[in-house]
Amino acid sequence: MKNTIFKISFAALLALTTVSCNDFLDVNVDPNSPVKENLNLDAKLPAALVTSANYEATTLNQIGGFWGGYWGTSNEGVTAFASLKNYNGLAIRDSRDGIPVWESTYANLFYYKEILDQANAEGAGYYAGIAKIMMAYHYFILVDFYNNVPFDDALKGSSMLHPRYDSGKDVYEKSIELINVGIEDIKAGALSPTKDDVLFAGNKSKWVQFGNTLKLRALLRQSAVTEQDAYIKQELRKIEQEGSGFISQDAAINPGYVNSTGKMDPFFETYYRNNAGVAVANHTNIRPTKFLIETYSLHNDPRLKQSYVAVNDDFKGVIFGHNTIEDQYAAGVTSAFKGPQENAGKPAGFLKSFNQSTMLISAAESYFLQAEGAARGWISGSLNDYYTKGVQASFDYYFNQNGYDIGAYILQDAVDINKADNKVERIITQKWLALAGINNIVAWHDFRRTGYPKFPNSAQATGNDVYPLRFMYPESEINNNNENVLKQGDNNILSSRVWWNVR
Amino acid sequence: MKNISLKLTFILLASLLINIVYGQEHVIVRGRIADKETGAPLQGASIIIKENERSGGAVSGATGGFMLRGHVGQTLQVTMLGYLNKQVSLKADEHDIVVFLDRDVRQLSEVVVTGALGVKRSSRELGTSAQSVSTEDLNLGKAVNPLLGLSSKVAGLRINATDLTTGKTDPGIQIRLRGTRSLNRSKNNPIYVVDGVPLPDITRINPNDIADITVLKGANAAALYGSEGVNGAVMITTKAGRSGGGEINFSNSTTFSNIYLLPPAQTSFGQGQNGLYSAVTAESWGDRYDGTERDFGLPINGVQPKRIYAAPSKDNRLKFFDTGVTAQNDLSFSGGDSKSAYFLSLQDVRIKGVIPGDKSSRTGVRFNGSRGFNKLTTSFNVNYVLFKNNTTSDGPWLSVYTQPANIDYKAARDWQDPNSPNHPLNWYTPVSSTRNPLFMADNNRNTSDQHILNSKLEFAYQFTDWLSVTNRTGYYLQHEDGRVTNRKLVSEVSTRNINGSVNDFGRTFNRINNDLVLNANKNFGDFSTKLLVGQNLRMDDIKDVNIEAKNLLFDDIFNQGSRTGELTGGTKITEFRSLSTYGELTVGYNNYLFLTLIGRNDKVSTLDPERNSYFSPGVSSSFVFTDAIAALKNSTILSYGRVYASFNRTGNVTLDPYRLNLTYSQAPGFPYGGLVGFIPSTKEPNRLLKPEFVTSYEGGLQLGFFNNRLNADIAYAYSDSDGQIFDAGMSSATGFKSTYVNAGRMVNNTFELTLNGTAIKTADMDLQLGLNFTYTNTQAKDLYAGELFNIFRQAYAIKDLPYPTLRMTDFLRENGKIVLDKNGDVLPSEDEVNLGTMVPPYLFGFNTSFRYKSFTLGLQLDARLGSWMYSEVIPRMYTAGTHPETVKYNREAFIMPNSMVRLDDGSIVDNKDVYSKGDKAWWDKYGKIQTTTAAKADYLKLREVYIGFNLPERLLARQNLVKRASVGVVGNNLFVIRHSSNTLGDPEALYNQTDGYTSFRQIPTSRSIGFNINMTF
Repeated sequence: MKNTIFKISFAALLALTTVSCNDFLDVNVDPNSPVKENLNLDAKLPAALVTSANYEATTLNQIGGFWGGYWGTSNEGVTAFASLKNYNGLAIRDSRDGIPVWESTYANLFYYKEILDQANAEGAGYYAGIAKIMMAYHYFILVDFYNNVPFDDALKGSSMLHPRYDSGKDVYEKSIELINVGIEDIKAGALSPTKDDVLFAGNKSKWVQFGNTLKLRALLRQSAVTEQDAYIKQELRKIEQEGSGFISQDAAINPGYVNSTGKMDPFFETYYRNNAGVAVANHTNIRPTKFLIETYSLHNDPRLKQSYVAVNDDFKGVIFGHNTIEDQYAAGVTSAFKGPQENAGKPAGFLKSFNQSTMLISAAESYFLQAEGAARGWISGSLNDYYTKGVQASFDYYFNQNGYDIGAYILQDAVDINKADNKVERIITQKWLALAGINNIVAWHDFRRTGYPKFPNSAQATGNDVYPLRFMYPESEINNNNENVLKQGDNNILSSRVWWNVR
Repeated sequence: MKNISLKLTFILLASLLINIVYGQEHVIVRGRIADKETGAPLQGASIIIKENERSGGAVSGATGGFMLRGHVGQTLQVTMLGYLNKQVSLKADEHDIVVFLDRDVRQLSEVVVTGALGVKRSSRELGTSAQSVSTEDLNLGKAVNPLLGLSSKVAGLRINATDLTTGKTDPGIQIRLRGTRSLNRSKNNPIYVVDGVPLPDITRINPNDIADITVLKGANAAALYGSEGVNGAVMITTKAGRSGGGEINFSNSTTFSNIYLLPPAQTSFGQGQNGLYSAVTAESWGDRYDGTERDFGLPINGVQPKRIYAAPSKDNRLKFFDTGVTAQNDLSFSGGDSKSAYFLSLQDVRIKGVIPGDKSSRTGVRFNGSRGFNKLTTSFNVNYVLFKNNTTSDGPWLSVYTQPANIDYKAARDWQDPNSPNHPLNWYTPVSSTRNPLFMADNNRNTSDQHILNSKLEFAYQFTDWLSVTNRTGYYLQHEDGRVTNRKLVSEVSTRNINGSVNDFGRTFNRINNDLVLNANKNFGDFSTKLLVGQNLRMDDIKDVNIEAKNLLFDDIFNQGSRTGELTGGTKITEFRSLSTYGELTVGYNNYLFLTLIGRNDKVSTLDPERNSYFSPGVSSSFVFTDAIAALKNSTILSYGRVYASFNRTGNVTLDPYRLNLTYSQAPGFPYGGLVGFIPSTKEPNRLLKPEFVTSYEGGLQLGFFNNRLNADIAYAYSDSDGQIFDAGMSSATGFKSTYVNAGRMVNNTFELTLNGTAIKTADMDLQLGLNFTYTNTQAKDLYAGELFNIFRQAYAIKDLPYPTLRMTDFLRENGKIVLDKNGDVLPSEDEVNLGTMVPPYLFGFNTSFRYKSFTLGLQLDARLGSWMYSEVIPRMYTAGTHPETVKYNREAFIMPNSMVRLDDGSIVDNKDVYSKGDKAWWDKYGKIQTTTAAKADYLKLREVYIGFNLPERLLARQNLVKRASVGVVGNNLFVIRHSSNTLGDPEALYNQTDGYTSFRQIPTSRSIGFNINMTF
């Protein structure tokens, strides 16, 4: 009797347990998101490129704006951007409230690494080449902020849990090699990207020129390191031998911006107006520095009135880091960024429209890089020619037309390159003026390298010569890879220099 | 088999024969067994005819019902664990009787606990620890969240209040039993079981519906639940019906709460920058308050508002808060007859939060019913709760602690007048993070309606008196319908702008849980056996939906249709399945020695099918030595003594669904028309994950002295969780932010002591005292790749140190002295320093209840010692200039006492002449040295106090309506003594599932006092 009941019960239990048990448990395929295997390269490349452009336009422009001498704040913004104003390295490295250049850049690098791996597996050399060049672009950013960073050990997931750091110099050279190989990949590669290449729409020669320009920029950044002379020459020869030259048009990204929150040109949306045309807080808080306005004025530069709003027919700037409320620095009496709404609905200098393209490297910068190369005797060609083309490209960009008349401007004593005692200073100064509000971050790097132009430091700095030299390693890295952080020694924002900063 | 059938036939024939012979005097008794105090039906009571024991007896079913044959004049004897025996003589006309049993409260040896699967067990046979809390103790402080009522009442259990960001309208808790087992912070909760059904959340259960809560401490006691029970179990039994006549109960409790323990703020310097007054800045870096009249903000319609420049004597920030009010009304009915019982309750809780405008309401109804049909017993419980919450975000309070001491928040409530300086367009400062907080509270609303339906359907069939089968189906539905709105505001000064937005969201959680359990209890001579075999099936389905418009056109139409730009939002579906089989065998010898074997096999959907099935075994034993050893049997000192021990190895999968593959999602902004763009997840997946295993041992000693007037419970427990599944943070340079791993070991050593005593017991007076103490040492061992592992912000797991350890950046020091740079600025230490554990290793709970005639007094004290905490509010107060330290040197340059200076050549010398600037930039950097935010978290708290008065019976005797009535005063958190270093806040108050961490979002803690009325009709 007992046995029978047990048997029946167990049989029933067993039946329930085994019947379609595996089907019952088979619910672990994510119904919400695709996995990597579902996606083609053309579904991944646009996201990686747009992320790169967003970062350049927003965070890097903000850091460069304040540390490159361009921007300060109005009374309304007196408490904003505190960590940049008082060079507070600890606040910047903070995981929660800091500026996560490290984290964002490595995340972006990983997008390209995924593309690279897939491209290699599928034999899509063109995509592989693009990924390599863009990875180099991001590694340069990392070194410029943090000096030694992981390269060989990087982007390997948990198989390389505590990535060792490579020296800043090595990362630079390895990245340049990435570009060299990337250019070859692109040239040889089939499967050309089309509209998913939101930078060059699959134009091979533009990609090659972009690679060369990026290389030239990286080589010039080490101009002060005398031991690198031979290396620089060798790499310049490779550019020459390659033969495609440098970009002559803006390398700018446009995925087809839409007038909707989060889908507009990120610079326009972050520093100007939202999709309803309402000004954002930054538009009240941020103002050009007195130094920027004075420098434009000194050169009788029409880009000033094209880019900033006049107050009583005059242009008024602020002092970066100034920490006192004074009537003269109220937002209403200082020059705001000029956009279409302040320009009779027409595109202004660097604020043109919600769907303006986001700049990675401008044609003007390319020419000024070449000009400096020529001035240093690194590359052939006419210094005057490169310099003039740089000014021309900048004016064309600011004034939204080709062939804007720069004749009078360029003949001024303060502008004419032939009348400059210090050619590099003049080139850098013109580059500084040309990149304002476009690629601000270049200014901080150039200042650390050359000391030009000599803009004032923060009013909150503890001494006249106190300028920020780098970012400290982020808290997330101290939390998760501290052993390697400690090996790098001092990383103080005011005392530790990146490798190319030997001035 | 043939023999058995023959025997059966014979017995049947024989009984028929007996019927014929004794037909005249024979009665068939149908009856019910119930608890005398609560009227609840009692299952498992054994009923025999005293005069004819060999005729066999009956066992009462789930509704307490039984059926038995007997003769008029014979005596029914009812025995039941935990109750006094009762005898009833059979009368000719009584075919329907209810037998009420008195509880045998003093008998420690007969304590009954609700074990796993809701099976009632005599505590003497348990080889594991369990502690019960009665409805009276639970509701001492009239907590709205039932678990909060458990705080400091159970040894080994730590409960922290966590409702801190929403004006305290939705009291939440963090619960930990015997330490922390998982490095995954959100996977340390015990399983919650209500009437035998595991539920994902019990926050919304009406505490007054609870008959008792039994805490099964640790994986051993909750072994039948396998993985889910790895952190122990909280077993809730709700009230059942009452046999014999209905009863109606009404109670009201209304309490008033006020904010206290705010981080102190300086009141010497007011708004401005660089020591200069500014009418338009919110930071307190201006000049000294001097009582003069000054411009305040900008002119409004050409008129300059003025204000006296002085801080009020009382903390101005308190004016920002309201007095919170919690009103609870309860009505319950219960009744039943011999076959059925029901309990019906209604509850309405209204909470007015401490932040103006915040409020919530909880309206619930519960019906518990049961009915017996011969051998089949059915019961059905259903509980529906509507919880409505209406709060603002964390923004308002965030802005209050950074604004100056002269802001008048009482006046700021009147912001609607467009000419008022408190209107958002006229507020003195245009900075977006320091708007008028009372306007912000009105302007940003977060409303949600949560519907919870929780039901259980149970069938139990008693095959014979020793074999039964139960099928219990639980259906749980939680649907939340929410909306977040921001009213549009447009100003000429863009920092004052607010984008109008509306986000509608919904979340539906469905759970079907089914347990099929076979129970067999049979005695063989001196041996008793209990066998339980069961199977569990679980289906969880979740769907989240949201639709948001980020830019609305109008300030009074909150609809996505009136927007500019594109809609955003999406859906997310999550499914989880598990299938388990389990069994438990208990063998007892002479009712003083017991051995239990237990096993459970789980199979879950979240792991790879190759590795998703795992087995968890366990063994436990209990020995009542006072019954076994003759010499102890009649001891006048030691009245009861028992030792027990257990061992378990429990598999566990803490992984959420869909973590085995690398998923992609569209990058922000995408798609742009036809252009798509996908980016990978920042979490690295891991296909090879397998279950983690927790090995736990425990041993305990239970003693009763002086006829059980003094009881002691001592337990030691050890758990070792190895190969943990968790989301391990990684260097961003790996390409991911974190990875899922099987790594890391955590070891817990817990010692618990509970003492309960009856100091005075007379007819008029009764004094009970209770003390519980817990020591927990949680240590991290063998971490994932290295000696140190970051958990959350400054919380670390560090090998061989208590978990979690507070580790942070200190000042650069030389021989303990702070080292400054040559400009007088502070410098960070090269590496971080370990301060100590962030969970208190020592917990003390003390309770007393005192009764003198009709007066009662109940007290609950709570002390927690030995841990550290830190607060994120502090650096923000330094930056804003509201922190008291910032005025220590009168805002002037100063030479820091006891400091050193690092010179250009790197040498470090005593500081004799280097001034620190002492301005905003200096203090801002000072506040970023993280050790300035830390404090010791020791505290002693008067958690709950209740003073009550029962209306004397002679007063009530003159009428028939009210049977019983009482009134009382109830207080919560009335005082706290903190460590002298702690000015940060309430150490008990946590931010969600963190430890020792006070978020800048968190509003300060509050204390409450109120009254309570209880009436029974």
